Amino acid sequence: MRLFLIGMSHKTAPIEMRERLQLFCSEGNQPLTELMRLDGIQEALYLATCNRVEIIARAEDDGQAVDVLKSFIFRRGNLSIAEMEKCLYIHRDLEAVRHLFRVTSSLDSMVMGEPQILGQMKEAYRMAIENHATGVFLNRLSHHAFQAAKRVRTETGIAGNAVSVSYAAVELAKKIFGDLKGKTILLIGAGEMSELAARHLLRQGVGKILIANRTYARAETMAAEFQGAPVAFDRFGEVLPEVDIVITSTGAPGYILTAEMVTAVLRRRRNRLLFLIDIAVPRDIEPAAGEIDNVYLYNIDHLQGVVDANKEGRRTEAMKAEAIIAEEVEAFEQWFNALEVVPTIVALREKVEGIVKGELEKSASWLGKLDEEQRNRVEILTTSIMNKILHEPMTGLKEESREKDALPIVAVVRRLFKL
Amino acid sequence: MTGIVLFKTALTVYLVCAVVYAASLWVRRVLTARVATWLMLVALVIHTFSFASRWYTNGVSPAVGLHDALSFFAWVMAAAYLALQLKTKTRILGAFVSPVICLMMVVASVELGGAVGAPAALQGSLVMFHVIFSVTGEALFALASCAGLMYLIQDGLIKRKKEGGLIRLLPSLRDLDRINNICLSWGFTLLTFGILAGSGWARIVWGSHWQWDPKQVWTLLAWGLYALLLHQRLVVGWQGRKAALWSLIVLVFLIALLIFRKLFFQTIHSFV
Repeated sequence: MRLFLIGMSHKTAPIEMRERLQLFCSEGNQPLTELMRLDGIQEALYLATCNRVEIIARAEDDGQAVDVLKSFIFRRGNLSIAEMEKCLYIHRDLEAVRHLFRVTSSLDSMVMGEPQILGQMKEAYRMAIENHATGVFLNRLSHHAFQAAKRVRTETGIAGNAVSVSYAAVELAKKIFGDLKGKTILLIGAGEMSELAARHLLRQGVGKILIANRTYARAETMAAEFQGAPVAFDRFGEVLPEVDIVITSTGAPGYILTAEMVTAVLRRRRNRLLFLIDIAVPRDIEPAAGEIDNVYLYNIDHLQGVVDANKEGRRTEAMKAEAIIAEEVEAFEQWFNALEVVPTIVALREKVEGIVKGELEKSASWLGKLDEEQRNRVEILTTSIMNKILHEPMTGLKEESREKDALPIVAVVRRLFKL
Repeated sequence: MTGIVLFKTALTVYLVCAVVYAASLWVRRVLTARVATWLMLVALVIHTFSFASRWYTNGVSPAVGLHDALSFFAWVMAAAYLALQLKTKTRILGAFVSPVICLMMVVASVELGGAVGAPAALQGSLVMFHVIFSVTGEALFALASCAGLMYLIQDGLIKRKKEGGLIRLLPSLRDLDRINNICLSWGFTLLTFGILAGSGWARIVWGSHWQWDPKQVWTLLAWGLYALLLHQRLVVGWQGRKAALWSLIVLVFLIALLIFRKLFFQTIHSFV
């Protein structure tokens, strides 16, 4: 197929690398034009989300494509090659197809079944079309990927499952507050987990994010990223009356939020509901706070419990999804094989031979009147006419496939001869 | 006659609707609840026609007499619930509301076709206002308590970290609290008007605003309790669990008192 997929994702790249990645993808400049100028690249798709960067490309020949794409990523990533090499994965042909389908169907996402990736993939495809970076092959591949994603979403329960801790937290928050629009979150401690949870909450339309962290500078950078506001760590108690959801993840050895504090806060907020999420180990919030009316306290184990409750169901759904992906990959492969040059040539030859044979049989009555030698001559004549006619198209197809992508012309030939 | 047929049809559809709601709790699918909601709407429309036809053929305002009052009570609950349904995502609440509606309809059907003409003491527009406002107010209190009960269940599920489908199926706490709040405020306002209209009418018929009749005392007590509840909500800032719990306690208390009164006291305020 001469299809290459090269990229890195949350599964292969460590946090620091992902932070770079995020910077890298927030720049927003489209690398497609540059990609298309690379040696031997015929078609290209460029997918960048905050959890992954992937390039899907169809190249002229197998030789240099991988190196060309790799050096392109190293240049753009602005990282040392040794560092990057560890995080990259490279897939070819059917493996690349399978990977792309899995990514689009959200099976490879950080939160399996999350719906954003399909939209991001569609956007990537739209950009590729706008930059004239796709042809017959990638068009078909992209549409196939969307179809696979749609099937996975409608035929399996993947999308409906609360699949991660942060997702579970969001689901619970929704069951408490209805929708989350206009709600305020306070992050105490700016770790990776709380950041992830905050990201999910933001996607649900949460109004405002406050960030309290022991190192104030970190709170400031994170606040800038989420368009929130930093709060001095020793003064987070003052903002508690106005927040609805608190996520704590500090490394403090003892409780930083006691039941007593929560009781006092609740009085000041006139008993408005308060959702406390404690994802720190050891815990940050005194468990007794969860006993207070209108206060809901979940720690990491509880959330894990919510996730585990449907783990079994999730596993079977994931298996169903993988089966769908396998089917779709096979369907794509069939389409592709049908378009390959050699099968086309074979099919063309068989078709014409069939016609010649058929016509000879139809004329069997008068051919019978001829003697043996005459009959042979007629057969030789028809065969040589057939070969002469087929010669140019066949060599043409072969040459075409050697020099560049033969798909467009193969498609035309198949359509013209109804193969 | 048409009125009775329509009433019975409405009752049947309400029953089916309650069964479908119960089924939706069982299978834990929102789709079944959606079907039930549409069924309730159908029942409500038929029910409305039954009122219209009764009004048209008998010339009697609805909601006077036990049958009509109960039937009207059920109608208000259904209508108010469906209206709230538009505002909030509380489909499953119907599973709690529809049985109450059915109960009211069944009790109402016992008196079906009875006393068409109202007694002389009950003719006048003030009576109509009195009955409509009071019954609507009480129906809204019942709805508030349904929401309260569901709130307590959902609150318990979330507090005790009961994973599984039920938390997802039940409405969010905020929506339930809002329904409780809306129903209480409106119920209280309407009941106040109902009592005022009633006491105005009592002055005309019985000569004074207040007779220390058990039914009057009961109503005033109910009014007082709900006034207190509303005060706690608005001024003290009761929200969520406490408000839900107390709206349920007040209703249970009032129903108990109502049964007690029926058993042991005579009332002049009875026209059935």
